[in-house]
Amino acid sequence: MKMNPVFREGIQLYLLEGHGMSAYFYVIIILAPLEFLAIFLPSLDPKTWMGPANLFKISSIAALALIVYFGLKIVTQEIVPWKFRPLKHWIHHGGVGLSKVARGQLALVCFHMLLMILLCTPLLVWAGAVARAAAGTILLTIFFLLFYSISYGVWGLVAVTLWEHRVESRQTFIRCFFVFFVLLSGLVYSPLNPVAFLLSYLRQESMAPLVVFGWRGSLFAVHFLFHIFLLGSALLTYAWALRKAGSL
Amino acid sequence: MSLSIRKVALSFFLSLFCLFVLLVPLHAAEITLNPQVGFDGLFQLRHPFPLRVELKNLGPPVEGVVEVRIWKGGPSRGVSAYSVNHRRSVFLAAQSRKSLRFTVDPDSISRALTVSFSSPRGRVSKKINLRRHFSPSPLILLLTENNVSPPVPALASDSGTPLISVSVDTLPSVGRAYQGVSTIIVYEQSMRDLSKRQTLALDRWLSSGGRMIVLGGMHYALYQEPFMSRFLPVRVTGLKRLSSLPSLERVYGQRESPLRDLWVQDSILVDGNILIEEKGTPILVELNRGKGKVLYLSLDVGRPPLPQWQGLPLLFKDLLGSPGNREFTLQASWNESVFSQLLLNRSFIADTVPVLSFFVCVSLYLGGIGSLVWLWRRQRWPRQTLALTFLSLVFFSSLSGYLYFDRGNHIPDGLLVSSTLLESIPYGYVEVQSDVALFSTRRRRYDLQVQKGWTDFEPVFHRQETPNESVLVVQEEGNFTRFRVPLKEWDHRLFKFRSIRRFPFRTEIKNQSGGLSLRISNPTGKDLTDCWLLVSGQRLFLGDILQGTSQIRKLPLPPGGAFLRDDQFNRTNRENLLNIPFKDKVRKTIFQYSFFSEGADVPRWGGSDLLFFGWVKEPPRRIWVDDPRVVAYDHALFRAVISLDDEGDA
Repeated sequence: MKMNPVFREGIQLYLLEGHGMSAYFYVIIILAPLEFLAIFLPSLDPKTWMGPANLFKISSIAALALIVYFGLKIVTQEIVPWKFRPLKHWIHHGGVGLSKVARGQLALVCFHMLLMILLCTPLLVWAGAVARAAAGTILLTIFFLLFYSISYGVWGLVAVTLWEHRVESRQTFIRCFFVFFVLLSGLVYSPLNPVAFLLSYLRQESMAPLVVFGWRGSLFAVHFLFHIFLLGSALLTYAWALRKAGSL
Repeated sequence: MSLSIRKVALSFFLSLFCLFVLLVPLHAAEITLNPQVGFDGLFQLRHPFPLRVELKNLGPPVEGVVEVRIWKGGPSRGVSAYSVNHRRSVFLAAQSRKSLRFTVDPDSISRALTVSFSSPRGRVSKKINLRRHFSPSPLILLLTENNVSPPVPALASDSGTPLISVSVDTLPSVGRAYQGVSTIIVYEQSMRDLSKRQTLALDRWLSSGGRMIVLGGMHYALYQEPFMSRFLPVRVTGLKRLSSLPSLERVYGQRESPLRDLWVQDSILVDGNILIEEKGTPILVELNRGKGKVLYLSLDVGRPPLPQWQGLPLLFKDLLGSPGNREFTLQASWNESVFSQLLLNRSFIADTVPVLSFFVCVSLYLGGIGSLVWLWRRQRWPRQTLALTFLSLVFFSSLSGYLYFDRGNHIPDGLLVSSTLLESIPYGYVEVQSDVALFSTRRRRYDLQVQKGWTDFEPVFHRQETPNESVLVVQEEGNFTRFRVPLKEWDHRLFKFRSIRRFPFRTEIKNQSGGLSLRISNPTGKDLTDCWLLVSGQRLFLGDILQGTSQIRKLPLPPGGAFLRDDQFNRTNRENLLNIPFKDKVRKTIFQYSFFSEGADVPRWGGSDLLFFGWVKEPPRRIWVDDPRVVAYDHALFRAVISLDDEGDA
């Protein structure tokens, strides 16, 4: 994968030249004080009375929102858009096939998301240990974060492919996408929402199962089927958009 | 030696049969349960009572658990009904029987009490309908070996309360089992067989409001036994013949049937008050113990001429008296709102969470990441080395932090906070209310142990809470009772229980010209710290009153000698109480929101009374969990109302 020029370009710009450091910096510098405040400031509600009890929940939700948001910003080349070579260049002048471009960009998404999760891992693990969450729960939560960030991150690739020369359109799309799928989807049907699902998983509460024409789907199945569908549709849209961009 | 095939087959099948018989599961009929409720099948409603379970094993040896399930709560208590299970492990030898005693306290008799025996071989259970066993009034127990004493039951029954004749060996050895008993009458009964635990139980019952009537008899040696002497206010020396009893007849006598030539027990007063005396011989003596009393009558009411004496019913009526107030007057607030005030305390958080360590860990990690970024930008180290260092930093900091916070014993598994209020009652005793909060940081089970002599142990639920079925399991092992409480992580449960204890703190007030003189002496064996006195709207700091010391304080009388009116008194005292400074924030919270909360009145405290209070230093532990991972704090406050109307000792 190292040889993939698209992937190499991403690594070069974000890591070697350091343009992506600001996104990583924001993720960690927001998450760390948030955790500290959660542990230090007691809640006024006697039922959810203490920070430590909710520390892991707060940290996981915050990490989810931060990683998805800043991951989308990185994937949509929002930080240094002028430095990236356009797709046309890779396809027509660089001699890179569509599939290679796609592999390079997808690898880059996975790499950035993984890096952000690695950065947050110690903070999440400590929060879990203080909140007395089981080791399995902590590991599964970290896996969920990776899964969500990739599922949503691919939509960033869709945006960057569809609106390669329209930075504002990309920015509007990913913000709307983030607000709706990560935050507001809970208002439509809460089991689809990653925040609601993570909270119910960490609280060990069961949400009402989905019943459609007599078929009874568990919350877990509904949630992950929806996200697998979201990821699959993102990949299909991305492939279509890439083909469209290549044919121009 | 030759063996026939038939013989071999027979022995094989015989061995198989024997094996089958040995391994066959326990049949229900092999174990029988015979529960006996209360005292001779009777108990007072809404009071604890003894339950004796007789187990009979007709089969092979078996080990199992006897469980008694009772129901608490319900509409009368303002919470949903929940069950409390009393458990005791038991081993039954082959062809044996065993008797187990429990003390149970159901809130309701509408649901049956269930007794069961469970073992790996099976389960036997029996339901008891409590409706058939309750009495609305308290019971009177009669302890006697004399079977020629018809007047005693007849006289006691006249009081309208059930009289039950019991033997010493059936007396419970737990104090709270007697709570439904108002009076115990002892008449010519040897107490030699009374166990130490039974004696202590009777002692506790007496101090919590029980009444013991000891009737004299001809067998005076029975009254000289050490266990009997423990309860008697006199030392019986022998018998004495009296020609008449004018002092008794003056109070209860009927002129038509004067008492002539009768034998009475001769005795010397040890403690208490002589109510009736004849020629130097105590006839009726009273000894107060906490809220209860012992009455000693030196006459033999079972032998002539007393049974025919017409004054006897009146005398008995007086002896039995009306059932004393055995209810606790002490009411400290203990609920979720008090607990949430405690939780808002910084020190409380610091005890449960290593905030500083967490802060240091986060700072070090951020520092490490910052250093790596700096090295990356400066290109001091090869990029590959830096990438590996980053991965190692993430892995090792995660692992070591997890081990430190989760396994490093830096966060206690539980926090047990108890706030105890000791309210002074006469004769050197205190009513004790202990309010307990058990807070858990981990999902686990806690075994709470309570100091002996407790009563009314119950969980406190908030109004909307629906108690879990398995909220409380009472595990009884030998002399110990453990309350098994399962808790989730960062969950808590509130409890309260009560007791009567000896705490001979003395206050003596005298009204002298120009002011009041207050003498305080502390022979309790415990130092009292941060002591305060509230008198007519003023507060005085008394400092520490160490054990074995006493203080005399001159107190100014209010201007014109007039004390505050009730409305002024309440307002001024409330302000005074709220403004008392305490160094310890937890103490201040407990003081303001529990002991002297807005809704909790101080019993017997009026406009012309003084209120004394002080914190008990290193109070004896009343509730604990035998686990070093559970941190315990106990805050105990002693308080006494000193009435100026009863000038003198208090």
